[in-house]
Amino acid sequence: MSAAADSQPVPIEAADCRTPFGDARATSAALRQGRRALTLQPVLGAAGGDSVPLATLPGRSLDETAPPAWLSCLDGLAASIPEAAWGDARHPVFVTSSNFGVGSLYAFARGHGPDHLEFCTPFALVDGLRRRFGWGGNVAVLSHACVSAHVGLLQASRVLAGGRAERALVFSFDFISPFVTGGFHALKILNPEMPAPYAVRPTGSIGLGDGAGFAVLGRSGAGFSLSAQSLYNEMNHFTANRADGAGFAACLAPVAAAAQGRRLWLKGHGTGTLEAGRLEAEGFGRLFPASPLVSWKGGLGHTLGSCGLVELAVAIAAVRGGEAAGTVGTTAPCFVDAVATEPFPTSAYDGVVLASNAFGGAHAACLLTHD
Amino acid sequence: MSEPLESRLKQLIVSTLKLEDVDPASIADDAPLIGSGLSLDSIDALELVVTVEKEFGVKIASSEESRAALASVGHLAAYIRTHAPPDRPPG
Amino acid sequence: MIERHIHSAQTDDPGPEEPAATRERLRALFPRGATRRMTQLGLLLGGVLDPVRPAEEDALIYASSYGESRALHEYLASFPTASPTLFQTSIHPSAVQQVLVTRQQPVREFLPFGGRAQIVAHAAQAALLSPAGRSIFCGGEERHVPPGTTTAASPIGFAFALALSPAAVGSLGTLRLTESDDAGGELALPEFFLALRQRRAIDQAAAPGLRLTLAWH
Repeated sequence: MSAAADSQPVPIEAADCRTPFGDARATSAALRQGRRALTLQPVLGAAGGDSVPLATLPGRSLDETAPPAWLSCLDGLAASIPEAAWGDARHPVFVTSSNFGVGSLYAFARGHGPDHLEFCTPFALVDGLRRRFGWGGNVAVLSHACVSAHVGLLQASRVLAGGRAERALVFSFDFISPFVTGGFHALKILNPEMPAPYAVRPTGSIGLGDGAGFAVLGRSGAGFSLSAQSLYNEMNHFTANRADGAGFAACLAPVAAAAQGRRLWLKGHGTGTLEAGRLEAEGFGRLFPASPLVSWKGGLGHTLGSCGLVELAVAIAAVRGGEAAGTVGTTAPCFVDAVATEPFPTSAYDGVVLASNAFGGAHAACLLTHD
Repeated sequence: MSEPLESRLKQLIVSTLKLEDVDPASIADDAPLIGSGLSLDSIDALELVVTVEKEFGVKIASSEESRAALASVGHLAAYIRTHAPPDRPPG
Repeated sequence: MIERHIHSAQTDDPGPEEPAATRERLRALFPRGATRRMTQLGLLLGGVLDPVRPAEEDALIYASSYGESRALHEYLASFPTASPTLFQTSIHPSAVQQVLVTRQQPVREFLPFGGRAQIVAHAAQAALLSPAGRSIFCGGEERHVPPGTTTAASPIGFAFALALSPAAVGSLGTLRLTESDDAGGELALPEFFLALRQRRAIDQAAAPGLRLTLAWH
């Protein structure tokens, strides 16, 4: 299973996100205070159902409007992207999402009118966003569930490394809807308990949240780089990992090799499920025994396909601010002792390993380094 | 010979999970449902949980609880008998 | 310019075949009982991937504009008691995962694309840029007319798989992307599939700045 990570450093010119707490800086600050954006809400929105932990943007309900209420959030995020001729031949855009406009499709299927239709298919939605933001036609669309953002970052990095672009924009978003919440609830992992990533407890639960983020790659100046990237797909089962943790190891090992000699902290996937959380924490512990491990999904919820980029932006904000948030919502005992439940200073470290996982046993990891 | 509830559950298992080559009567009451000769997995288990809720009004709250309830047809029948709402006796 | 050589080109054109007929036609390619949860798109992908045999160190690039549209709409119809199986199978890139999970075949690199007008160019670029020794570029759609709208699904079904490597010897053809001055360019999956099916050449702007050439020996 051994392989090398993509290890040509890729400068990160800029990155930011939007969560219910606001931008990356505000999100990092809120998480350091131990705050949760998650509240218990009916799983099917206006149609009711069990109360489960959800985090929607301020003023946005779970049920989609036409046009979607999250468009203004993306407008604000897009306005903060450094200027370039995005979407032309030398400035490709990589849009990644797990759900795109599936909330609109749900609303249309529930009889809420044809105004939802233009947002229903991924390509139609992305084309609409492209026109809205004034991007050219060089916009790739990638979708791989909860590792979507990582896949977009990797592909953007390869296009740059191949000399086929000057700068690349990765733009990721996922906004929750009854389509998604109903599905995770049917999988019995979105339960009426707040998530506590990596905590030893009798029952696991995740939370789900809105999220969007971007990263501009290719020009240095911000002091951050993606110094290694790795993928692995177990294809063992749709919702279960190999019980021996081999999938986690296969993805993390190349990044560990690339990170030799660095002082690292770890941002894991950690949704709040038990078995996957244990396997992930133990996998990290074997490869990075001296590194503190955090997950922020206890505060933000799982932002699905956007989580890789949302949490990358928050990690960058944490390093800039000198302090990383602990694992919000989690108290000891944990699966491994290295789980940091409280904020900690980042000055002692020169790199962060960030990981995400997805259905199908998909794994993604990257090494964020900084000057 | 299985009780009526057990027989009904076996029929539901075959129809819900599209087990085309399986005779419901061939499923033993005490045979493990998951990872056994039926080759059912955790997603099948969850699909059965949804069916149980629709057919009997019995909710199974978590994946841990579903694992116990779906250990066998016998276990599932016992769970339903214990948790069925008074106005929907399972028979 | 980036290029790789085609060492296997598989296509399936099911025409108006319904999912049950596809299942019957292709079931022998899968373990017993495995096809009961598979979508038509998953079955079609399984058929074209079978001769190619993806391996762990391959890069697998997958392209579909509509994905599992039947599972998507059946999942929507299952509310308020949402079906976990249909939720799972409706999520892109389920079709390829269905196939590889039934075969318990891990793959290190899996890059699934959506989009429409430039999907071929972007997916091909990923296949040609991958450092893996072999790239498998596959894709397809399932034919479906969902109730209430004709916009959310493909009117035709098809699947393809190309095995690509840097080695020219013994190849069937070449897939190449050249940087160009073209400000526009489109090549959607149906047109690409037809060229593969008919062993026709392509030489056109497929996305801004990307000219795609498909040549057969």
